[in-house]
Amino acid sequence: MSPDSQQDFALAFLSILFEGAPFILLGTLISGFIDIYLPPGMMDRFLPKNKFLAVLMSGMLGAVFPVCECAVVPVIRRLVKKGLPVSCGLTYMLAAPIVNPITALSTWKAFQGQGAGMMTCSRLLLGFLVAVAVGMIVSKLPLGAVLRPKLAESLNNDAREVGHHDHEHDHDHDHDHDHDHSCCGHDHRHAPAGGERLVAAFRSAMKDFVDVAVYFSIGVTITALFNTGIAPGAQWLDSLASNPTAAPVALMVLAFILSLCSTSDAFIAATLDKFSWGAKLAFLTFGPMMDVKLIFLYQTVLRKRFIVLLALGLFVSIGGISIFWQHLILGAK
Amino acid sequence: MNATLRRSLFSLALLAWGGVLLYFYSSGRMNQYLAPDFRMIAFAGGLGLAVLGLFNLLTAGQAADCGHDHSGEEGAHDHENDDMHPITALLLMLVPLGLAVAWTKDEYSADALSRKGLYAAPSAMNSPFLASSIPALTREEIEKSHRKTADGFLEFNLMELFFSTGDREMQPLIEGLKVQTEGRWIDEKVRNPNGSRKRLYRLFMTCCAADSKAIPIILEFDKQPPELPDNGWVTVAGTMRFIMEDGEIQPVLVVDRALASEPPYEENFMRQKGF
Repeated sequence: MSPDSQQDFALAFLSILFEGAPFILLGTLISGFIDIYLPPGMMDRFLPKNKFLAVLMSGMLGAVFPVCECAVVPVIRRLVKKGLPVSCGLTYMLAAPIVNPITALSTWKAFQGQGAGMMTCSRLLLGFLVAVAVGMIVSKLPLGAVLRPKLAESLNNDAREVGHHDHEHDHDHDHDHDHDHSCCGHDHRHAPAGGERLVAAFRSAMKDFVDVAVYFSIGVTITALFNTGIAPGAQWLDSLASNPTAAPVALMVLAFILSLCSTSDAFIAATLDKFSWGAKLAFLTFGPMMDVKLIFLYQTVLRKRFIVLLALGLFVSIGGISIFWQHLILGAK
Repeated sequence: MNATLRRSLFSLALLAWGGVLLYFYSSGRMNQYLAPDFRMIAFAGGLGLAVLGLFNLLTAGQAADCGHDHSGEEGAHDHENDDMHPITALLLMLVPLGLAVAWTKDEYSADALSRKGLYAAPSAMNSPFLASSIPALTREEIEKSHRKTADGFLEFNLMELFFSTGDREMQPLIEGLKVQTEGRWIDEKVRNPNGSRKRLYRLFMTCCAADSKAIPIILEFDKQPPELPDNGWVTVAGTMRFIMEDGEIQPVLVVDRALASEPPYEENFMRQKGF
């Protein structure tokens, strides 16, 4: 690498890392405290029993717990381990970076004068619908087809243990005595001192941060290399801007490579003035769900084969809907 | 690897990340990497990482009961079960960061700048969002809202001149105006057969340096331009023109004077150390 390239790579790498690291920390602190303090099955109790309604509600949880795509992965890892159904977890993971007030505000602000209200609503709605659709499909799949083998095995073991133990009695978690039936997978131990749990929570947060930071670091490295050398393709991109089919495809590829944060990507999209409105919508919906950096982060939870299928499914569905949206509803823009 | 050593190493990795964030923020170098809205977030992130790392380092050897029942589990305690070998994780976290810190000069090379639009025509770069942030004005309002130098030049931000190009309302108001602006001085590599041109630019970032764009105008001199350091900050004054070249409108400042100057407050992290 020439000294100039080193200098360019370093600037891009550090700037993306500085931008993303605080959000990862926020996500891993939340995940660490969820890990230690949230009783197993608690999330399950919040969601409706009906599978479809549970997935629908998961798609809107981002409005209550706003996190970007970097921060959501460690949170999901913990929530799934805590008993959140995988279909709901994936729906939340895909929807939360888009269906949240911070992203809505930044999109609205960035698209002033370009149909800001319509773009914001379209982005949130498309993100929500696609995430719910993925959640519904995942609810029909076995855990082993979706999750990393180790995680799937751990959840399957938990399920078997719960099934093995007869749960006819009503558990009272406020009781003072210690009865030993640990195989049920529930907590029946006396609560340890608050200080010890705090240490455990911070340890868990640190472990999660390291897990995510490793993949983030690889993703940022690749993104920085693309980012500083992306211009050779810029003219080619411009030539695609007027093509109604190729433009959304090109911008989704660009979103995949650039790996921007969902809280700030609208400011980039708004400057792509040669591209159609629908292409920008595809950019803003596909990017927070699938990019180079996320490919690495998703590997902490999902099987590689599932990630590839998810990427292809998102690419085709978001691209298709954006083209349809542009032609039939926003044809005049 | 035993648990205490692993926790200590991970704590040090977090301290390293936090330390880099805090150093870049406190030295002012962060200004070259992040837009203002994100700098405080980065500082808070650095502080959080440092606290988390330090806390875990100081308690690395302490027993901590999570309150869960893991008696049915085999092997390591699940809350600290590793996805990869700790040394591998540590290297992946620290080597790219270390190399980037060692290599960075807090600015892009000339090649990268040209990729980021240094030689692009304003019409190819123009952003509706940015352009819309400039309010509609009359010539009188422009004169009222910009300070005038002792020798009669109105002080303009380079971005105002750039984004006025091709703007049906702003361009006629600024055409022929005597203005003074500041930016970084660099060679003009296109349409410069007599060598009488230079280029003045600033970087504009929406969020971070990775998404930054160069905002340039052309400087036109009667004779040869003065010798000033490449990429150094200069203050130039002259008459603003918008000239059609190769089918595109170019913002051209016909220069009366050009002097090397201090970087503006926002760009000069060394100057901020005194505050």
